[in-house]
Amino acid sequence: MLPLTVHAGYQQDFENEFLTKPWAGVQIEQNFCISCHSSEQMKPEFRSIPEEWQASWHAQNNISCEDCHGGDSKDAALAMSPQRGFLGSPQYKDVPEFCGKCHIAILTNFLESGHGKALMAGKKAPNCVVCHGSHNIQKASINIISVQLCTKCHSYERAKVMKQALFLTETRIGELGNKLEELKHEGIYPETDEKSLFSTQAEFRALFHTVDVNLVKDRTDEFTAKLDLIDKNIQDTYQLLKFRKNFSAFLMLSFAGMGIVIFLL
Amino acid sequence: MRIGLDNIIQTQVIDYRIPKNTNIFYTLGFLAVVAYGIQVLTGILLLIYYVPHPDHAFGSVQDIMTKVPYGWLFREMHAVGSNLMIMVVMLHMVTVFLMGNYKRPRELTWLGGGLILIITVIFGLSGYLLPWTQLSYWATTVVTSMPTAFPVIGEPISRILRGGDYVTATTLSRFFALHVAILPPIFLALMGVHLFLINRIGISATPFGKIDEEKRPLTEYKRKTYPDGYPYYPTFFKKQMYMMMAYFVVMFFIMTFLPTLFFPDEANMPADPFHTPQTIKPAWYLLAPYQLLKLIPNKFFGIMIQMILIIVFLLWPFLDIQKEKNVLKRPVLRGVFLFLLVTWVVLLFWGRT
Repeated sequence: MLPLTVHAGYQQDFENEFLTKPWAGVQIEQNFCISCHSSEQMKPEFRSIPEEWQASWHAQNNISCEDCHGGDSKDAALAMSPQRGFLGSPQYKDVPEFCGKCHIAILTNFLESGHGKALMAGKKAPNCVVCHGSHNIQKASINIISVQLCTKCHSYERAKVMKQALFLTETRIGELGNKLEELKHEGIYPETDEKSLFSTQAEFRALFHTVDVNLVKDRTDEFTAKLDLIDKNIQDTYQLLKFRKNFSAFLMLSFAGMGIVIFLL
Repeated sequence: MRIGLDNIIQTQVIDYRIPKNTNIFYTLGFLAVVAYGIQVLTGILLLIYYVPHPDHAFGSVQDIMTKVPYGWLFREMHAVGSNLMIMVVMLHMVTVFLMGNYKRPRELTWLGGGLILIITVIFGLSGYLLPWTQLSYWATTVVTSMPTAFPVIGEPISRILRGGDYVTATTLSRFFALHVAILPPIFLALMGVHLFLINRIGISATPFGKIDEEKRPLTEYKRKTYPDGYPYYPTFFKKQMYMMMAYFVVMFFIMTFLPTLFFPDEANMPADPFHTPQTIKPAWYLLAPYQLLKLIPNKFFGIMIQMILIIVFLLWPFLDIQKEKNVLKRPVLRGVFLFLLVTWVVLLFWGRT
């Protein structure tokens, strides 16, 4: 038998050859943003960007460089050309607008918040990346509201009240998300409930960017009702799975019984 | 009575005798027919609701699973049944090989059986793509790339299978047509020839029982009969029914206790041509050839070895000139068989990881 290292090398070559050809579905296209930013010629402070992005929630969801910065990652010559819609890096104050191209509802609520109004007025205030990070952005959770982060600018008291107001609903959204994942493992694809949970979560998270505790409290019942509905659908699906299991078991025992009868005849 | 049905029943069922030393493995051929029958029935029910288009295939399968009354039952029976059918046909071939029942004058019966096994695997392969899941899309991408190991003709074969460079709607249409319209008549024709040959030549007696009756010189056609054997009905019929029940028990056992055995997570996600899963692998019955292809540094050499093995497998009765039927008395053949079996199992599990 050949040494494993030889196998591993060949296996890699084989998979590369089989999976990167056009007929393999999607070609792994060269991304000039990544190749340039990873190269030795790039300034050291910009060289870690590709690695940070690859570990990000955006990368996991196929949000690539040009989705935020514009330009053309497939054309080295025009990658940073305004003709190809290259925007570059936004100014500190313009970051919400930059992110808000996709996160529309959050932008609206943020601009109405104390944070947003202060930022627009040119006062000292956080923009999106202060709390969420930029290239290494991770899946958002209420853990972002923390003593370490909030006390950089102000006391934690108001933030703590907000976190408490969000906690139950956020926890429930997380639990329902886990249950929907479990259903997928069971062979069910709960597309409608998944979309519903996603939109509920997006709406809820957009709401708390207002940083208005009373508004969050007032509308929590509305979100609870939506989550109740999703929860009910999940419970119904589990009942359905239980019925299937029992029915299959019944059929199995019926055929086993018939087999025994035939054997005894 | 007008067509002599009573005569057929009398000669083919009541008066039909089978050798006394048959064993339970003799029912595997019948079981394969039953398995195919189940696939046909459940397949027709699925066909009523299934839509062979990339935009609707996954959704229509989900509808079958969740909205169509008992659609889940027929779909799971079809999916589990396809895997069980391949197992049964494989086991049938292995037991026939071990019992030496492929030998003259049954060479063509073996060849027909081997072709049926290949058609059964192609059935599985073509059906695998139809739900249009991440698993089926990428497994098909890998499998349809395997012919490219052949120089010159490899790329055109791959393109013909896919209907282009990619696995697309055209591939789905082609695989659908293959699965529901092209393969069934080929399978039925091969099965007809196979059954005709069994009936025409007569059942072979196993060498492992107390009696080995095949001592006559095989110089001219003579149907092998067993006048002092057991009647087919009820003795052998009971065995067949018993095995059929066992088949259903295994099928429903998997559906009850191992519902995700043939449905990993990727099998429950819609196909996404823009997102390659972490691990891509074909169905279990193609894992060993796939793994072998990965291990052999030269792709052409790898695929040629497999083609030669398939040709040797199909033509084995013509190549095996020794008269000894009992594999226990043939240490070299036994050793080669065990080596191939162990290699296949190792490659299969290796390919899974």
